[in-house]
Amino acid sequence: MAPEHDGRAQPGGRDTPAGEPAPVFRPPRAPFLDVLGKLSQRRTVVLGVAGVIIFFAVWEVAHYATPAEKQRFLPSVEQVVTEIAYLFAEKNFIADVGTSLYRIYASFFAASLIAVPLGVFMGCFVKLRALISPTTGGWRYLPAASFAPLLLVWFGPTDFAKMALLFLGCFFFLVALILDNTLAVQRELIESGLTMGASRRQVVGITFRAAAPHILDSMRNMIAVAWTYLVIAEIIVATDGIGAVMMRAVRFLHVDIMMGGILVIGVLGVLTDISFRLASRALFPYLRVRR
Amino acid sequence: MAILGLGRKTVPARAGVDAPVPGTPPLRANRVTKSYLNGSVIALDDVSFDVHANQVTAMIGPSGCGKTTMLRLMAGLEYPSRGDVTMFGRPIPGPGPERGMVFQAYTSFPWLTTRANIEYGLKLQGLSRAERRARAEHFLELVHLEGFADAYPAELSGGMKQRVSIARTLAQNPALLLLDEPFGALDAQVTWEMEEMIVEIIERENKTVVVVTHDIQEAIYLADRIIFYTRQPGRIKADLPMAFKEGRRFQKKEEMLVHPGYVDMERQLYAMMREEIRGRVS
Repeated sequence: MAPEHDGRAQPGGRDTPAGEPAPVFRPPRAPFLDVLGKLSQRRTVVLGVAGVIIFFAVWEVAHYATPAEKQRFLPSVEQVVTEIAYLFAEKNFIADVGTSLYRIYASFFAASLIAVPLGVFMGCFVKLRALISPTTGGWRYLPAASFAPLLLVWFGPTDFAKMALLFLGCFFFLVALILDNTLAVQRELIESGLTMGASRRQVVGITFRAAAPHILDSMRNMIAVAWTYLVIAEIIVATDGIGAVMMRAVRFLHVDIMMGGILVIGVLGVLTDISFRLASRALFPYLRVRR
Repeated sequence: MAILGLGRKTVPARAGVDAPVPGTPPLRANRVTKSYLNGSVIALDDVSFDVHANQVTAMIGPSGCGKTTMLRLMAGLEYPSRGDVTMFGRPIPGPGPERGMVFQAYTSFPWLTTRANIEYGLKLQGLSRAERRARAEHFLELVHLEGFADAYPAELSGGMKQRVSIARTLAQNPALLLLDEPFGALDAQVTWEMEEMIVEIIERENKTVVVVTHDIQEAIYLADRIIFYTRQPGRIKADLPMAFKEGRRFQKKEEMLVHPGYVDMERQLYAMMREEIRGRVS
């Protein structure tokens, strides 16, 4: 018969003596594809860098695997990098990059300047939503690129025509995304504002404040799409900018310039993404705190 | 999500601002009917009762019985289809700080610290910076969050977030405190801690409280009176004074559990609940 339990904690069976610490537990080896796996920040970075290296390695191998007479259609990584350096050093490429950056940022922020308040107001007020949403929603299905000929006829080969294309490409999607961000604000947050005596204006403020981090995320995702329209605009009306430089390269089959242009756009895109993330960190410090 | 009441013309006078009509109760539901979907769902059907001053009134009943609807009518977040809800004899024109509400969902603003959340409502009321500081300090202490004044909601546990909501609401000094399943999202141990804290606050601040809950034990513990609703159409099935408590409020919940009369009350409420949900799928 088991001894009577007196209610106090009972030490169970022990394989190691009580004086020594128990041996460190070795969990089973995790496979590479580990469900719900954990990864230290350092190893996350290492894997990310490894991915980039693999990408360029595949490119390099593909270049050398190509028959010599066709290698000019797939230049090596070092050829492209050299070409980029040459463009910057000798061809004032920085001016083209600057022009492109100006176009994308100016038109994107112009679109945001209207789309953010419009989307928030539509999210707050059902009648505005009913009035505007079907129209702006429909516009999303009109391909912005198809407006290029029209804009060219209206405004000629100007900066304005290119930026108008960018604006059209971003604006209606931005409105739809920001409307969604606003509608996703927890209803009770607004109701609690109302029960505390917030005015309509203050309620709009609460809604905007609650949606703001998601709005910035929407903008970050949208500006990536804006690059597409930038290149389209600069290729159709090839006066200056990164797209124009790439378009001129077609005439002389300068594949290294085309690929260099793509690479530069990629780097600029990543830098834009990073700056949006940094802005989010600075603007919304409360999102980073954890229990 | 529609923002309620924003399409409606705002009524300039507030119930709490208008002088109360002498001899009228803090809240009166007068033949209130609330139907949805063109009358095919009747959440409340011709319900009348008074909320008495300085009492805690609990509204309970099966899911979908209209208890939350009634609280929302009292808050002014919705309007009745028929009848009216009055506060000190004046019809409720919309939501306002004289009827403070605590929601089941966490509603403290994530971008504000605990202190700033509490001060937010005071700012709306036009209090000076110094007054806001002092009041916030008092209510931080009342809900035992002194150590978390500068923390953001994301740094707080569920129970702490609800404490912020309660403090924020109380700081506005509402004539009425409306609690909509305030502990519904919390785990069991935090729930009873919070229940005891609410009882402590009610004792100290002497408030008129209406609380909606689905928890029978919680209703008995908090309430001086329980209004039990039937399900669709929502009517008052029973209006029960918690006479067994003899006017006492228990600081510790377990003191109530052994108090004579408690078990009978709980059994009675369980029987009512069973009667209401019989043969229906929740």
